[in-house]
Order: sequence, then structure tokens, then C-alpha cells
Amino acid sequence: MIEVVLNDRLGKKVRVKCNDDDTIGDLKKLVAAQTGTRSDKIRIQKWYTVYKDHITLKDYEIHDGMGLELYYN
Amino acid sequence: MANRTDPAAKSIRGTNPQNLVEKIVRSKIYQNTYWKEQCFGLTAETLVDKAMELDHIGGTYGGNRKPTPFMCLVMKMLQIQPEKDIVVEFIKNDDYKYVRILGAFYLRLTGTDIDVYRYLEPLYNDYRKLRQKSPDGNFSLTHVDEVIDELLTRDYSCDIALPRIKKRWTLESLGALDPRKSVLEDDFEEEEEKEENEQDGLEDEPAHERDYHRARSPARERERDRRHGSHRYRDRDYDKDRDYDRDRGRGRDRERDRERDRDRDRDRYRLRDEKEYGRERERDREREGRERDRRDKDRSRRRSRSRSRDRKRHARGSTSPRRHEPEDGSTWEETKKEKKEKKEKREKKEKKDDGTDHPDPEIAEANRIRASLGLKPLKL
Repeated sequence: MIEVVLNDRLGKKVRVKCNDDDTIGDLKKLVAAQTGTRSDKIRIQKWYTVYKDHITLKDYEIHDGMGLELYYN
Repeated sequence: MANRTDPAAKSIRGTNPQNLVEKIVRSKIYQNTYWKEQCFGLTAETLVDKAMELDHIGGTYGGNRKPTPFMCLVMKMLQIQPEKDIVVEFIKNDDYKYVRILGAFYLRLTGTDIDVYRYLEPLYNDYRKLRQKSPDGNFSLTHVDEVIDELLTRDYSCDIALPRIKKRWTLESLGALDPRKSVLEDDFEEEEEKEENEQDGLEDEPAHERDYHRARSPARERERDRRHGSHRYRDRDYDKDRDYDRDRGRGRDRERDRERDRDRDRDRYRLRDEKEYGRERERDREREGRERDRRDKDRSRRRSRSRSRDRKRHARGSTSPRRHEPEDGSTWEETKKEKKEKKEKREKKEKKDDGTDHPDPEIAEANRIRASLGLKPLKL
């Protein structure tokens, strides 16, 4: 289990517990469950890399305690 | 500013009609080239030409969420607010299915509940195919009636949150709307009559078979539905139909839903694989217990002669085991208790599998959320 921090820098900052073999899509669902924003309206990125839904956290080398950027669309 | 709403436009649901599209999507539309090139200065008449050129529907797509031309035209309609007659003409035209959907979508966004039902429900009989652009940029196939169903029963379509409308039965009970009459109704009643006649002819078949015919078994209902084509409303058991509707919606629903379901299924399977070994053993053990149980009962009922098998109990017991004998009963009770215990144990084990009874309440909560989303529990 790892914990990632997602921050939208507009006042929403969530810590999400997840497995490292979860996909970004799963992570979005978990964020959606915590924040109430629809999961398909969430975009997760790091600098200019927009993370794709079907790729796992492991493959993006997302580790415990890492911070991600949370955007909406 | 070019993206201003027509000053003569009436406000819809207490606000500027353009606000029906969320801010982010709206600004994406304003930035879009199709919007800037093709939608500039459109009026209700010239919009028709653009609408006729549409070849797919959809919300936004791609990594940077580009809006589809369909979305741009919806936006344009919200901006210029064409008269209701024009929108109704859009919906009533038979030649251009995308114009029809555009009109239906606009009416769903801006119309009153009664208008929405009155003008959209006849489109349930339009089975033409539509191309739909999914968020990942691929096209998928859908149908006019499916899109209409989505507009009438869901609260979200094409990346736009649809305004809430009252449920159909609410409007019906208020008397604002007549019960829906399906075009298949006559056809259906005919068929039902025919069936009734058939049943009269089949009086001599076995009782349970007849019951099967009489009772509206779900399987039979489904079969009949299949024979009668896809859509049917009856006011008699409207609720059931609504359920059926929803089922159907799910069955032929959009690719995305199916994808999600498949994902969930896959996860479940994976989970089950992990559990399988332990469960199998448990089940075996249980089956053994049940076997013994049944044997016991059998023996007491028929005074089975095979003593060799349960010699131990016979040695302990009397010579002629009867059903009400205390000794026999007690063994039965015992096995029952045993079984119950096992069941409890298994339940406990199952609970553990989805991780919701973890000592750490945070992890237990996280696992509960994961279970509700169809994800595997957290690995620790």
C-alpha cells in the first residue's frame, strides 16, 4: 500500500491510500469518492505530463508519499 | 464580446443559458477552432446548415479535452436561443438524425419537463445508428433511441450535467402527462390474446406447466419482450417496465459503462482466484458434512439396513432407530450446529477478504470505499 497526495492548489488536497498496481483510472475513482468530483472530470498530471487512465501507478513510478497535481476538465 | 448571449434571450432556470454548460467546458468551446471558424455569427437559419453537416455526437475528447462540433452547436443554440418552433422542427425532421439529436439535446437542457417528455419520447421509435466520439477520441456506435433514453433517464450526457426533470410517473400522477402509449401496444395486445387462446387449448397439460404459463415468470416476460421488439410501455405495471427499461439501458449501454463493468468483473475474478483455494477446501468440508447429514436422515426414515457404514453410532444407539428417537435426533442436531459454526467461520473469513475489518480504522474505511468501487483491497 502506498499513499499519494493530490493537490489542486485551490484549496483541495487529498491523501489517497492505494496499491501500486492500481491504474490511474482507479486512483481517479478513489479521489472522486473522497472529493465528490466526477472521476471523468479529474485530470492527474505532473508538470506537463497528463497521466493516462489505463497505466498503473507502478509504471509511472509513483511512490509512497508522492505529490501529484490535480486538475479538472 | 463575441461570446455574449443574445441580449433578447430569456434566462433559463434563473440564469444565463450559457451557464448550463460548465465553466471549463465552456472556455474549451470558446477556444476551439470549429467554434471560431464555423460558428461565428450564426443565426437560427444558418445554424441549420451547420447542423446538417454534423456526422457525430459527443462531449469532449482527447488529452486536452477538445469539444466536438456537436457541443459547439449546442453552445451556439444556447447563445442565440432559437424559438421553440424551430427546435421542435429540428426534432420532428426525419432526414437528418444529428439535427434531431441536436434539437433533442437543446430541448432537454432548456425545455420544461412536460415538453421534454412530449417531444422526446416519440423518438424512442427511431432506431437509426449514430456515431459517438468517446472521451479517448475513438468512435463508437449508438442509436437515436439510446441517446434519447440517456437524455430522459440520466443526469449527465456529453460532458454536460443535465438539469433535473421530474420522473415520468410523478408527472403522470399529477395529471400533467398522459400515460405513454407505445406504438407496439396494439401489436402486443394482439399477441397476448393469441396466447390466451392457446392456453385455453392446452388445458390438458400437466398442472405445473400450466402454472408456468399463467404466472408471469421473468424468463417468459423477457422472451416475450424479445419477440415484441425492443420498446414497450404498459401503464398497468409501469414500475416493472421502468426496471426493464433500466436493464435494457444497461445491456445496450454505452461502451464506457461496459468497460467499467468488465473492469470490475475482472477484478472480482482475480479476487476470487486468490480466494478459491481456501474456499474450495471449505466447501468440500461442508459438502462432506451435508452428505453425512443426509445419510443420517435417510437412514432414520427408511431404517436403512447398511449398518456397516455408521457402525459406531449404531453401537452406541438402540437396535431400531426411529425418527423421533432422542439419540438420533441429537446427532442430527450436532451436525447442524457444526454446520452453522462452519458457516459463521466462513462468513468471517469472507469479511476478512475485502479488508473492511482491518484493525486500523483508516485502512478499513479505505477498503470499504475500494470495495464499493469494485477494486481489490489494499495490500499491506
